[in-house]
Amino acid sequence: MTVDDVVLAANGDTAAFERVYNAHVPRVHGLARRMAGPEAADELTQDVFVRAWQKLGSFRGESSFGTWLHRLAVNVIIERFRTLGVARDRFLADSEAVLDVAHAPPRSRPDLGMDLDAAIERLPDGARTVFMLHDVEGYRHEEIAQMLGVSAGTSKSQLHRARHTLRAMLNAERPQASRT
Amino acid sequence: MDEHTTRRRQPDSASSPPVSRPGPAVDDPLDADDPLLAAIQGLGDARPERNLWPAIEARVAPRSATRRSVTFTLPQLAMAATLLIAVSGGVSWLALQPPSAPGSAAEPPIRAVAEPAAAIRSDVGRASFADAQYDAAVADLESILREQSEQLDPQTVMVIERSLQAIDEAIRQSRAALDADPANTYLNSHLADARRRKLDLLRRAAGLSSGGD
Repeated sequence: MTVDDVVLAANGDTAAFERVYNAHVPRVHGLARRMAGPEAADELTQDVFVRAWQKLGSFRGESSFGTWLHRLAVNVIIERFRTLGVARDRFLADSEAVLDVAHAPPRSRPDLGMDLDAAIERLPDGARTVFMLHDVEGYRHEEIAQMLGVSAGTSKSQLHRARHTLRAMLNAERPQASRT
Repeated sequence: MDEHTTRRRQPDSASSPPVSRPGPAVDDPLDADDPLLAAIQGLGDARPERNLWPAIEARVAPRSATRRSVTFTLPQLAMAATLLIAVSGGVSWLALQPPSAPGSAAEPPIRAVAEPAAAIRSDVGRASFADAQYDAAVADLESILREQSEQLDPQTVMVIERSLQAIDEAIRQSRAALDADPANTYLNSHLADARRRKLDLLRRAAGLSSGGD
């Protein structure tokens, strides 16, 4: 993929857009899979690229295309949460189910380094979303609060909770891995 | 948010997809020796197990024609507006010209060409916008105009010529755009309108030169 491919795609060239897709689909799919789960990842990835196609004309090149696309992907995924009824109060709730870290499922895709992936997948919605946005994607609490419609304090508490739970799950797996 | 986005992410060119992750935001960082940080940095991405492109292509392909149909640059739009003004002005100016008074000094020589002009206008009235008929009608009217131009006021001739040039340019642009997008409804309509305007202008001009419409 080249810079020209983005320009060509913006002018309706689907072959160029396919090259854009091929260059960026791993990252977009990974984001969708971790934030929304493997079941929704394929459909969300398609939605992201369709939205990107529709919005290509608004890409002015102030940031890199990868950054622009990633930001758009986050927006599409969060919109999906809202559509599916993962409502604001879900993120506010401190009553999300407490995870049983002692029974973490075995790694299904060790080729992808699924230790952390499997643990992220088991997080409650709010904690997983905040963890992904903050610790993996680098958004600040204020930004996350704005995106999700919650307070910065809620974002911080969800992150704290996610980190605590993830460490517990990773530690629970570690001795098991060392025995094999 | 944009400021943060710029600061947070390493710039990556469109030719090299992002490969590194930004990691935790600076407002609540993880310790450097936190195993969670190492795990985050070790996260990898893989292509989806099934090819998603065909489904995406099916959803974006119909958009191609639509996008092309509305993609005009600012200079193109400005040119279109200029052409419209010029053409409208020319046609209006011609429409406002008073018909020659019966019995005036100019009547005899104009009458001498009135009959053939009327006959040609009748043909034009039956002409469709199919290329052969249209082109023949336009050629006839242009021929009449050339023959009678000496009898018209020089300013009138100048306005007619400028208007015709503007219309011809509109037709040329429409045809060029249609070469790239033959099925575009807007462009086809635009071309038909420009051709109709040209025919109308020529008819009115021929009417002026023959002493009435």
